[in-house]
Parts: sequence; structure tokens; C-alpha cells
Amino acid sequence: MAAFADLCISGTNDKKRLQSIIETAAHLGYSTVAINHLVEVQPKKQEIGKPKCVSELFDHFPIVQGRSRPIRVLNRLTLVVSDTSHFRQTADFKFYDIIAIYPKTEKVFHAACMSCDVDIICIAATEKQPFHFKRPPVFGAIERGVFFEISYAAAIKDSTMRRYTISNAISLMETCKGKNVIVSSGAEKPLELRGPYDIANLGLLFGLSEGDAKAAVSANCRAALLHGETRKTALGIIRTVKKSQPADEREDKEAPPSKKAKLDAM
Amino acid sequence: IQTSAMFSELQKCPRNVLVCERSSFMNEKSRHDKHVSQHYFNYKVSARRYGCDGGVSGVEETGGWGWMGALTALCVLCDPGRFYALSYKTRIDQDDVVALLPLLILSVVKDTYEQLGLEGRPSQYYRVPLGLQVHGPGSKRYDRVLWALREKVPLKTDFLMACHMGTEAWSLPPCLSRYPWKELQASVDTQTLRDLPCPVLHGDDLRGETACEPHAFLEWLGAVAFVICSENEATSFLSTYECPEPRTLVDQAVLCTVTGLLLPEDIHSLLEELRRYFDQPKSSSWLSLVVHGFADSPISWGMAEHGFHKGGENFYSFVLFKNQDYWLHMGTGANDGCPP
Repeated sequence: MAAFADLCISGTNDKKRLQSIIETAAHLGYSTVAINHLVEVQPKKQEIGKPKCVSELFDHFPIVQGRSRPIRVLNRLTLVVSDTSHFRQTADFKFYDIIAIYPKTEKVFHAACMSCDVDIICIAATEKQPFHFKRPPVFGAIERGVFFEISYAAAIKDSTMRRYTISNAISLMETCKGKNVIVSSGAEKPLELRGPYDIANLGLLFGLSEGDAKAAVSANCRAALLHGETRKTALGIIRTVKKSQPADEREDKEAPPSKKAKLDAM
Repeated sequence: IQTSAMFSELQKCPRNVLVCERSSFMNEKSRHDKHVSQHYFNYKVSARRYGCDGGVSGVEETGGWGWMGALTALCVLCDPGRFYALSYKTRIDQDDVVALLPLLILSVVKDTYEQLGLEGRPSQYYRVPLGLQVHGPGSKRYDRVLWALREKVPLKTDFLMACHMGTEAWSLPPCLSRYPWKELQASVDTQTLRDLPCPVLHGDDLRGETACEPHAFLEWLGAVAFVICSENEATSFLSTYECPEPRTLVDQAVLCTVTGLLLPEDIHSLLEELRRYFDQPKSSSWLSLVVHGFADSPISWGMAEHGFHKGGENFYSFVLFKNQDYWLHMGTGANDGCPP
């Protein structure tokens, strides 16, 4: 098993609110959280923008309850896409640790499962799923190591949305059989967060088994994070790091920098 | 139809295992010694006496224990064979846990296991039991373990340590004295309860055919420990719990709880003391002793694996009768090996 993670906390400009959400998450026992930046993808080229640096949030990150390490905070990008042609990989992606996609149509869902370079596919929680989950794309996503995400904050706020969340989750489980599922909060306020063992119990309501439900908040989240990290590597094995050269060494260099740079193995 | 089939799963609780045994202390083949001595890391012991007053003696003699900060697993090996140690503030289902018996047991997450380079047993977590006592210093395995813990992954964590030295005072081995440490005493708490409804137990009837069934009995023990009202009054909105039938009303009961890192030797001596209690003229018909293990310990009994699913319970409970018979209930949770 792995440490607990909540991979969707609503990003907001209100620094104090974000700090209190992260403190609550650490108190509840989450070791890793990801701040979500939601972007509606436009047909024309758009700037996604860099996320704010995580270290600006706290001087000392809160310690996770029951452990002796501080909580780890990451950045996540969620793209709301309604047309396959709108999804383009831009240079801004490398600033985010996780890339997620929220497909609005069946075609986008199919493309997201089979070809798009994303880590997480979000399942609708605030509306009835407009399309059915078919086996080929779902299994294709599972084979590629892409995860399906269910958010529970909407279910806490409103009873109609609770029905949508549960029914969408159950229809996903019928197709994917509980594999590659993560459950995250999507919390906008600290009160919308719930403890990891409670979410493991909530997973039972979605149709997950005991082991899958606990994995949905721990091991599967870890796997999704590693999937995101491999985007910065070559074939998931080698990662290059730009070495900063000291000033005197730059003058000594005779040959111009060659294309074949020295690779540091990961 | 499919939905209702799925929801039938919801009615089941996470699996738990309860092993019940009945024997007598006078019986030579009685395994009570073995069960107590193999349950190494005990967190809480509560002894209860029903029907009379006075404290529970023998409790104050539990030994001291200490806490050490930020130690690497390597340092703990410097003087194996002398003390028990368990890593502190590490969750078994999330972190690396180190236990020293004096056998060294590491229960690590996948990343640590792959970096450590030691051979272990992958189960729900990755367990590396290292029998360093068997191979002492100089053997290949010992050197490899030291190399792994020094060069590959220096596992650094706080430790709780305890040592059973008999009558000698507990002292820290010199190699560890340069780390920050603090000596702690087990905390003892005594409560007297009055007018307590108490189930009637018959020594021969372990399954509870005429009297109280084991699960119901253990539930009642838990209710008493938390002082939950078991009258099921109409005015109470907190609890509708009722003491199992048949029951009697007891004037007084004494509940004594010790919390700390308690060693099997301490539990042994407490058990012997409780057995001697029945020699007194005015004694109750039965006593109970409940021992809880650490929720984050990597082992429960012997080398049986202990895990944490929703609750890390691994406990055993003795019910002692006047005729030196006893009942032993051993309970574990979903992710554990079966108790012996």
C-alpha cells in the first residue's frame, strides 16, 4: 500500500483558503495533495499559464497527522474539452505535475482514453454522464495506465448531485470492474474534505471492492503521480537535468555545445 | 438486478478473525504462556475485576520504556539481543516500519523495497525478516544487511524501545546514547464503576450456548472500557447498547488500564498476579485481562503478518475463572494472518 493522496483540491487565488484546505488535508492524514487549475480549452490558441510556485504557500508545510513528514503539494491541470481538435499539448504542460482531462462528448472520451497524453480522466459529478462508457476505450485507458477520477465534493453539497455522482460512478464500475479508479475531493472549502478511510468506505458505495476502494485513495494515486512524472522522462527510464555551469568553465570550453548532450540517468 | 447484487457487498463488514480457546492453567499442555510470549508489541493492557473493590495489584511493576528520536535502522542493530524496538509515528499501510525483536523485521513500501536490495517476502506490503541473531556479525547476510541500511536506504525514524531487565534498572546501550532520547513510564489509570450490568459466564460454555456468545461478550468488554451506558434507556440518544443476557447487576467493578510499550514478560507477571487473586477469600467469580497490540506493528503473533485495513486491531483477552480455567479470545482484522 502507499500513502494517502487527494489529487484534486480546487485552486483559488485566496491564499488563506488554500492554506486552510491544505492544513485540513494534512490533519486528516493525506500525505500528498494536488492543487487543481481548471481551464476551458478554446478553439483558438490560448495561454494556459504557469501555476504559482508551491513553496510560496507555506514557509513550513504542515506535518501529516500520525507521520513525521510534511505534506507534499503538487500542481495539476484539468482541461475541459468538448472537441478533439481543441486538445493540443503545449509547452506549459511541463509546469504541471499531473494533467487531467474532463471530456464533454463521447468522441473526446474515446480520444482521451486511447491517445491523449494525460494521466487522469475525470468523470462527471455535477451532471448526468452524457454518454455511456464503452469497454474498448475504458480498457484501452487501463492498459495505458490512465486513471478515472471520481470527485465527491459535489455529492456532499447537494442531494441531486449526489445521485449523479453515484450513478455515474456505478456505470463506470460496471465497465472497468474497479480497476484504475481514483477518488478525490474537488474541495473548495476545508469542510468538504473527508478522511482517507472514510473515502475508502465511500468507494464501497460506488461499487468498488474493499481492496480497490482503499487503493483508490492510496496506491492508484501513487501510480497516477508516477505516470505524470514519466512525462518528463524518456520512455520512463531516463531523465535529463540541465546542469548549471559555473562562469569560469564556460570560458574554457573550446567546441560549441553539441547536440549529443550528456544524459544523467534517473 | 446488477445494482442490488453490488449492494449486497455493502452489508458485509471487513473480515475479522476471532479465535477462541478454553483451557486451564493447571493443564500442562496449556498454551497460554506461548500465546502471551509471542505477542511482542503490546500497547495497552486492561485488567478488570467485578464485584469487589480495591485496586489490581501487580500493575505498577511494568517496566520503564524509552523513546528515541530520528534513529537510523542501522544504529538500532548496534546492540541486538538486548531490547525490543518499534518505529514510532510510522503507519504500517503507508510507511516503512522497523521492528526489532531482537530479530529485525522491516515492513517497507514498494519503492523502499526496490532500493534496499534485500530479499524479502512481498505480500500486502513488502516484508523483510532479517534473522541477524542467527547469522551474527561476520556472516555474508549480516554484512549485506548492514550495507543495505548504510549505503542504499538509511531508514530514519523515531523508535520506541523497551528492555526487560528483571530487577535491574533500564539503561541505554552506549552506542545509542548520542541520539536524543527520553525515558518514559507506562501510564496507569484506575477506574471504579458502580452498579454495572454484567453478563453471567459459565466456565464450560465458551461458545455461549446457554450464556453470552464470544462476540457479544467482547463487545460488552469494549463498552465497559469506554463507560458506555448499557441500560438502553429511552431518554438516552447516545447509545442503544444493551448488556447481553443473562446478566446480573454488580455493585462495584474495578478497571485498571496500563498504556505504553509493554513486553510479554510484563504481561506474564500480571497474569500470574491475577491468578493469585482468586486465593483471597472474598473474590469475584471471574476476571478479565485484555491486551491490545500496536495498530502499526508489522507482526501480531510470532511471525504472523499484521496489517491495517480500516482498523489495526490485534488483541487477546483472557477470562480467568475461580477454578483456574481460562478462556482466551484472540482477535485480528482483515489484513492479518490467523492467530495461532
